[in-house]
Amino acid sequence: MFYYQLKNELWKLFGKKRTYIGFSMLMLAQLAIILILRFNPSAHRSVEHAIEANGFLGTEYFSMLTVATFMAFVLAYTLLPLYVALVGGDLVCKEYEDGTLRMILSRPVSRVRLLFLKWLAGVVFSIVLVAMLAAGGLICSAIMFPATGGLFAQLPDDTAIGAANTGIFPFQEGLQRFLFAHLFMVLKAVTIMSLAFMFSCFNMKPAAAAILALSIILIDRILMEFPFFHDLKQYFLGHYLNAWQTFYYQHLWLWHLGESAAMLCAFSLTFLIIGLAVFQVRDIKS
Amino acid sequence: MMLGQVWPTGGEIRICSHDVTTDRKHALQKVGAIFESPVFYDYLSGWRNLEILSHYTAPTSKKRIAEVVEWVGLTGREKSKVKTYSHGMRARLALAQALLPHPELLILDEPSNGLDPEGIHEMRHTILRLHRELGLTILLSSHLLNEVEQLCPRIAVLNKGKKVFDGTIAEATRNQNWTRLRTNDFNSAIEKLRSAKLIRDTRDGNLISLNENIGTDEVVRLLVAEKISVFEITPHQETLEDFYLSLMNKN
Repeated sequence: MFYYQLKNELWKLFGKKRTYIGFSMLMLAQLAIILILRFNPSAHRSVEHAIEANGFLGTEYFSMLTVATFMAFVLAYTLLPLYVALVGGDLVCKEYEDGTLRMILSRPVSRVRLLFLKWLAGVVFSIVLVAMLAAGGLICSAIMFPATGGLFAQLPDDTAIGAANTGIFPFQEGLQRFLFAHLFMVLKAVTIMSLAFMFSCFNMKPAAAAILALSIILIDRILMEFPFFHDLKQYFLGHYLNAWQTFYYQHLWLWHLGESAAMLCAFSLTFLIIGLAVFQVRDIKS
Repeated sequence: MMLGQVWPTGGEIRICSHDVTTDRKHALQKVGAIFESPVFYDYLSGWRNLEILSHYTAPTSKKRIAEVVEWVGLTGREKSKVKTYSHGMRARLALAQALLPHPELLILDEPSNGLDPEGIHEMRHTILRLHRELGLTILLSSHLLNEVEQLCPRIAVLNKGKKVFDGTIAEATRNQNWTRLRTNDFNSAIEKLRSAKLIRDTRDGNLISLNENIGTDEVVRLLVAEKISVFEITPHQETLEDFYLSLMNKN
């Protein structure tokens, strides 16, 4: 039964045209980034200079992995939060607004089970989206850049964990780092989706739930970047959301990764539980 | 509230001896429901919608879905997307989803809402068929009192969340023996009839309720003797609407 019900929730989610519009836009953004890096001489030269400034050959490290990582950095801060927030915000609100939720709730299924299934569908969507980001990045980059070159990543300074801001790895290790970073990025996507899902359980429009979630993520990010708050980074959600970047640092800060994974799981569960509690006491009316 | 969508402020609702609030899983196992405007996942097919909704009750075989699709007359269109369905077809799909779990109780909330006259006639015919052929207990909620009069043998009237009547249609429409009386002076006629203890109640400025064992001949005799002209005195056939309005006025 659980399997069938989850399958149904996935049918609802992946049966919508706009889900694929989102995927298509992601692919288009990736293609645009690749074309710019490949054919814009200034952009091309900038990356090559950055690699060479670190004492490595641009021809060897300006590769599929480097470009795919660059794309991941751009899209993980823009389209990824937007899409997961939109989907998370839609999960309950949209069905309530359309009236299909009443049809489901006239069945002998508990609200907790129904919402858990919806959240799980959101988790699956987040996984698929990150997988698309990783696979799309690798495939698109492989068309125009050397597929087996090493990985060069230029990262923002992260004073809270005291890491240097470049990462350079041979192909094998670079690929591993890239895949683990994306695996960790799933936690970021699930946390943002869960935040939007929580708002979706309140009595509001789907767009409002997504906007609220994105506003929180954005404000959190802006405040975290404020020089006055540097010492307080560990109190910001963004500090943990961006822990996937840690995989690109030369030294693997395992304690930070472990702490971030635990915090993101705790945040996601908290958002889910608040959502469940709010929805449980609500009256579902037409 | 019967479907556990609105929380009661007090009391309990039991279906098939299970409390809806605390044991929803068992209480709603044999219940089907249709709401005023049938809403589905428009971007999916009718068949997929039925699969989705039925799996929230119990695993449902393809054979059972096909059987119900045929019963409601949607065969041939079940694989089309719901957005291509007419309002009538959506109503039939709503009926199909309600019938899938082999219900014993069917809750219909304003089932004729938004349908054209042909659709309303078809829906009424289907409701009667459901009761006759499948032996279902049907709870119909409607503001269309002529529809209720045509379909329901037993009614309950709610006013501001409180039940103000519960009984058969016959009891409702024959609650009191009303007689229509038209005279040149209704108020003084009433006064005379009351003092002679011939009537017990009056309504709407032209209806009287006679006391037991009092015939209209006695009323006419008295009024004529009191020099009041009587133009009309006939038994009044109460409609459900009359009954409903009188109940609302009383409350």
